[in-house]
Amino acid sequence: MNTIIIDGLSFALPLFIMAIGGIYCERSGITNLAIEGLQGFGAFCGALFAYSISGMFPGNSPIPFYLAMVFAFLGGMMFSLIHALLCIKFKANQVISGVVINILAMALTEFLVKQINASVFGAASNKFVLGVSARITVPVLSKIPVLGAVFTNLYPFEFVIVLIAFVAWFILYKTRFGLHLRACGDNPHAVDAAGIKVGKVRLIAVMASGAFSGLGGICFAYSISANFSSNIYSGYGYLAIAALIFGNWKILPTLGACLLFGFARSAGYELVKILEMPSSYQDLVMILPYVLTLFMLIFFSKKNHSPKALGEIYDKGAR
Amino acid sequence: MKNNNIFKKLVLQTIGHEKRQTYMIPIFSILLSLIAGAVVIALLGKNPFYAYYNLLQGSGLAPKESYAGYKGMITDFMSFLDALTPMLFASLSVLIALKAGLFNIGVSGQMLAAGFTATILVGYSELTAVLAKPAVIVIGFAVGALVGALVGYLKHKFNINEVVSTIMFNYIIQYVASFFINTFFVDPVSRQSKSVGAASRLTLVDVVIGNYKMNIPLGILVAVVGIVITAIIINKTTLGFEIKAVGSSLKAAQYAGIQVGRTRVLAMMLSGGFAGLAGVSYYLGYYASIQPRVLTNTGFDAIAVALLGNSSPVGILFSSFLITVISKGSTYMSSASGVQAEIASAITGVILLFSACGSFVKYKADRWKEEQ
Repeated sequence: MNTIIIDGLSFALPLFIMAIGGIYCERSGITNLAIEGLQGFGAFCGALFAYSISGMFPGNSPIPFYLAMVFAFLGGMMFSLIHALLCIKFKANQVISGVVINILAMALTEFLVKQINASVFGAASNKFVLGVSARITVPVLSKIPVLGAVFTNLYPFEFVIVLIAFVAWFILYKTRFGLHLRACGDNPHAVDAAGIKVGKVRLIAVMASGAFSGLGGICFAYSISANFSSNIYSGYGYLAIAALIFGNWKILPTLGACLLFGFARSAGYELVKILEMPSSYQDLVMILPYVLTLFMLIFFSKKNHSPKALGEIYDKGAR
Repeated sequence: MKNNNIFKKLVLQTIGHEKRQTYMIPIFSILLSLIAGAVVIALLGKNPFYAYYNLLQGSGLAPKESYAGYKGMITDFMSFLDALTPMLFASLSVLIALKAGLFNIGVSGQMLAAGFTATILVGYSELTAVLAKPAVIVIGFAVGALVGALVGYLKHKFNINEVVSTIMFNYIIQYVASFFINTFFVDPVSRQSKSVGAASRLTLVDVVIGNYKMNIPLGILVAVVGIVITAIIINKTTLGFEIKAVGSSLKAAQYAGIQVGRTRVLAMMLSGGFAGLAGVSYYLGYYASIQPRVLTNTGFDAIAVALLGNSSPVGILFSSFLITVISKGSTYMSSASGVQAEIASAITGVILLFSACGSFVKYKADRWKEEQ
């Protein structure tokens, strides 16, 4: 039971931060299918930085990890500028732009990892080995029966994510800027009439999305895979999109969806272990979140309302 | 200011013409990307012209310096056609969905579903070649069409965005196929599914003609027929008209009395069917086995091909040719000039990026034309 909660949380929270980024982007009216690529590129930047400075610190120092998070945040933000440029300035189709960014990020990081490994570190390898981040157990709280597992064996990034998620929630729902952002997604013309630049608000939203995606990506690189390689592109970004659609583009319900995915996954793995099934049965467990998503969408998608101007190119002249 | 005017004139001269825009914009994106790739290769200290020439050599379009016994340019070229076949089918699949305003990101998953089903039903059977090959094609089309139709139905009935559902299906199909392969059909040495029988393969392997050994892809003929049929369906039939109407304006199509739901399901069915054909020509043609837990990139590259080919069946012929040259030749390029093979897909990605800006270039060019 404890493992289910611990593993579930460490999977759900990075997913959640990516989904929040997606919510920011989509609530401002820009469709974001690029999360998968953004998280990969962000993770690449963070991993590259951590890998190149790792020699300067003793083996178990947490400093490279925190710096990696900063660089992943910045890297994702930089890469998301392409999406912003294409969608806001060039008025390209937002779905196509998202897919293009995913393909580009995948190809680019794969090439760069190999090239940098070969020419800088002198190794023929297609990954940056990072190791797994250290874990923390909160002293008193972890002694609570059952719920104590929530505070046991936490990755440090889980605290960071919860903090950022809270700030993001506050900005989106309690500040003037958040109101503008949400209005951009529903009625950009009204926002424009109020004297606020739609393009600027959307630019900030896309950049936030890139930054949060990058952060989520590096967390996966430091927990599940313990390295950066093309394994990072195993659909976390798409799951985040599914989670936010399910959460009806609202932050709290999205958290619920992410937790559901996380616990479904860890419970499935636990089941395979308890029943002592061969490891190929893990593949059947892996489909759980996806099947769950499809079924939930079948039941809920009629009630879901996407932002009204989502995916529409904002044209000042149009009425 | 003067400089700017010359630039504008140059742009207008080349891509100002509306008729020429359809092919000038893709050509420009390709040229720009190749230049960008060349700069990177040059920065790495390699000769970009030689590297690009290697791409042609690897695809059998230019002679290599030396060949092993029984091998020649024709061997490489046939192998190139073998790789081209799934790409043609896959981009047809993307194209038909695009025409209906739908985005089929699930081509790779549909390919795997079709390839896997055909493998276990026909590939492991004792059927003779005359029966097995048509059976593979029919099963491939049917399975792909089924998955496609399901996606279309979910969109029509439950309003589930096809992008999300195809992505979900990609993962589900990938893991389910992987489970069955690892449990029942695994080859303990290669860790892939057991090879299918030669009778069911759509590629004739190691045929000796004259002094050369080669693999002859039969699927390429089907693919060419597929392109012609698609062109006819889209341009000459009522269904094609309805698909285009739904794709360009949903409200107008509804107002004209077109059954939007039915049209969408049919379009997705056709799209899935072609994806299925791509799958069988990939898993039972170019290859003879399936690697578990891996989706091919073909389905995603096909999106690039379809966009680059301006979503026209003839355009696809050219663009898939180009993209396949880049991807197929990259292995030889990497061994001959020492450039990482991964740069090939990075160049493809950049081509895609530039062609996504196409509508903006068009818009700007039109504006400048009005100014003059």
